[in-house]
Amino acid sequence: MTPVDAQLVTDLQLWYAREARLLDERRYDLWLEMVDFGVRYQVPTRYLTAQGDVGDFGAWTVERELTQAADVFLIDDDYEGVRTRIERLQSGMAWAEMPPSITRRIVGNVEPGEMREDGGIEVFSALMAFKSRGPQERSFLTAQRRDLLSRSEGDFRLRRRTVIIDDTVLMGENLSIIL
Amino acid sequence: MNACVDLIERSVAPDASWIRPDIFADEALYRLEQERIFGRCWLLLGHESQLPKPGSFFRTHMGEEPILVTRTLEGEVRAFLNLCRHRGAQLCHEDRGVAKSFNCRYHGWAYACDGKLLAAPGEKQLYYGELDKEEWGLVRVARVESYKGLVFGNFDPDAEPLADYLGNMAWYLDILLDRRAGGTELLGVQRWRIPANWKVVAENHVGDEYHVGFTHGSQLPRPIESRAAPIPMAREIRPELGHGLGVDVIPEDISPGERGGFDEEVNEYLRSIAGEMKERLGEMRPRLFPIHGLVFPTLGMIPILNSIRVIHPIGPGEVELWSYCMVDRDAPQQVKDILVQRSIAAFGPAGAFEQDDSANWTGVTRNTVGQQARKHRLNLSMGLGHEGEVPGLPGEVGLTASDINQRGFYLRWVREMTGVSA
Repeated sequence: MTPVDAQLVTDLQLWYAREARLLDERRYDLWLEMVDFGVRYQVPTRYLTAQGDVGDFGAWTVERELTQAADVFLIDDDYEGVRTRIERLQSGMAWAEMPPSITRRIVGNVEPGEMREDGGIEVFSALMAFKSRGPQERSFLTAQRRDLLSRSEGDFRLRRRTVIIDDTVLMGENLSIIL
Repeated sequence: MNACVDLIERSVAPDASWIRPDIFADEALYRLEQERIFGRCWLLLGHESQLPKPGSFFRTHMGEEPILVTRTLEGEVRAFLNLCRHRGAQLCHEDRGVAKSFNCRYHGWAYACDGKLLAAPGEKQLYYGELDKEEWGLVRVARVESYKGLVFGNFDPDAEPLADYLGNMAWYLDILLDRRAGGTELLGVQRWRIPANWKVVAENHVGDEYHVGFTHGSQLPRPIESRAAPIPMAREIRPELGHGLGVDVIPEDISPGERGGFDEEVNEYLRSIAGEMKERLGEMRPRLFPIHGLVFPTLGMIPILNSIRVIHPIGPGEVELWSYCMVDRDAPQQVKDILVQRSIAAFGPAGAFEQDDSANWTGVTRNTVGQQARKHRLNLSMGLGHEGEVPGLPGEVGLTASDINQRGFYLRWVREMTGVSA
């Protein structure tokens, strides 16, 4: 077993806590500084799908449930797309978020994955995201985040994020907040 | 039933220039809609491209009924209630896939892709060989017909043929479906629940051009000079009562590739197919650029952003929207990728346009439930009496933003619900 780099785990946990706090505080300008210009931010669609033979757990993958070749994502943004998403929220006319949702993001299960030669780190984590706009508009979802972070001068930047939502049919009227 | 007819007559003006939101909230009307609208109209099941090989299947809904759509081993498309004939259990639990047969998990009855009952465990020993397997096949949706790739179903065995149901709308659908020899394909689907009445969503698709300057203010170039100025190129077209679409008429001196709003790769593609389009569609139709539309009751379209959607009703106060991307099957992959990315950036649950639409639909539905709010008329009078005809465009035409198509939608709704024209 590879030894755990405890400092790395702590650094990552702090980074994710800060990211969640900035989003919940709607400090989008500061949040964008955590995002790499080459980012890809994707949320696949998800389907109820047959798995492999009962005896072969190797075929029991989440991947089979996600966006395939002839398919669509729920979100597929590059940096420009992410920036436009933020600008929309700040336009004063994005009615799905005007008045803005009150949100809380909780990120846990932070697990460093593969270290890349170019300094990139894959990180798995679990997200609980709640939003409310009064008693009639409350929604909650959970998801896995699969991130690729770049690291330079002791800080991380988000280079890729794939958010695997734990629903096949979204229940929250829209996806108006950053996940 | 009579109470429903009274309510309908009280709630939709004879010319549909106003409606009362009673028709969004009333439970009895909703149940009658399941019978009269969703039990008798042609409803979109999907696209032939979703069933690429024998045994391909997907699940969908017709109204509130769960439906299983299959391609048989002979290549025919069939649709069934997704229900085992033995004890009524849900038969197929996967959203899509390929199967040789469908086996019920309750007692093991097995059905072929064409709906025939193949086997029931214990046929000889327990049923004494007396089970008539011909009689106990899956319940077929009475009619399944395709129009240029789009597959529709109808529960009514006596329904008019799909082509007649579409009427003049087919001439306009061809701009999307028949502009290339290879036809189209559907990609996706995005699925999400919106707490809104299905008619609120449908009327927006059929004809609401007026909302764009306000609802979608976040997406308009700044400064916004006028949010409700007539758009010279825009026409709201009512090809048949209930169906409708909005188009931009592109002037003759502009080729479709120069209309604007697309990436250069897409413009290049549009220029490259201009000759084929003209050959297939004639002179007029390549210059019509469909923006939005609806095939009554629940097939919505945002062609300018390649979105095709079905508005599935889930009770009077909720819908499940299923949105697909539709692209030319023979378009280069790069063009498809660009079109899909544009589409989902604007429409769907995270789209910059549709998020704000759904906020409005939810608000209308929620705020008209109260006994007082339900009584009061809501206005649909824009352009009433100013409908016209345009040579070469089948149907009635609103010459700019107009409620002509929403009025058509509600008049059609009354006709289907009561059996008489309003």
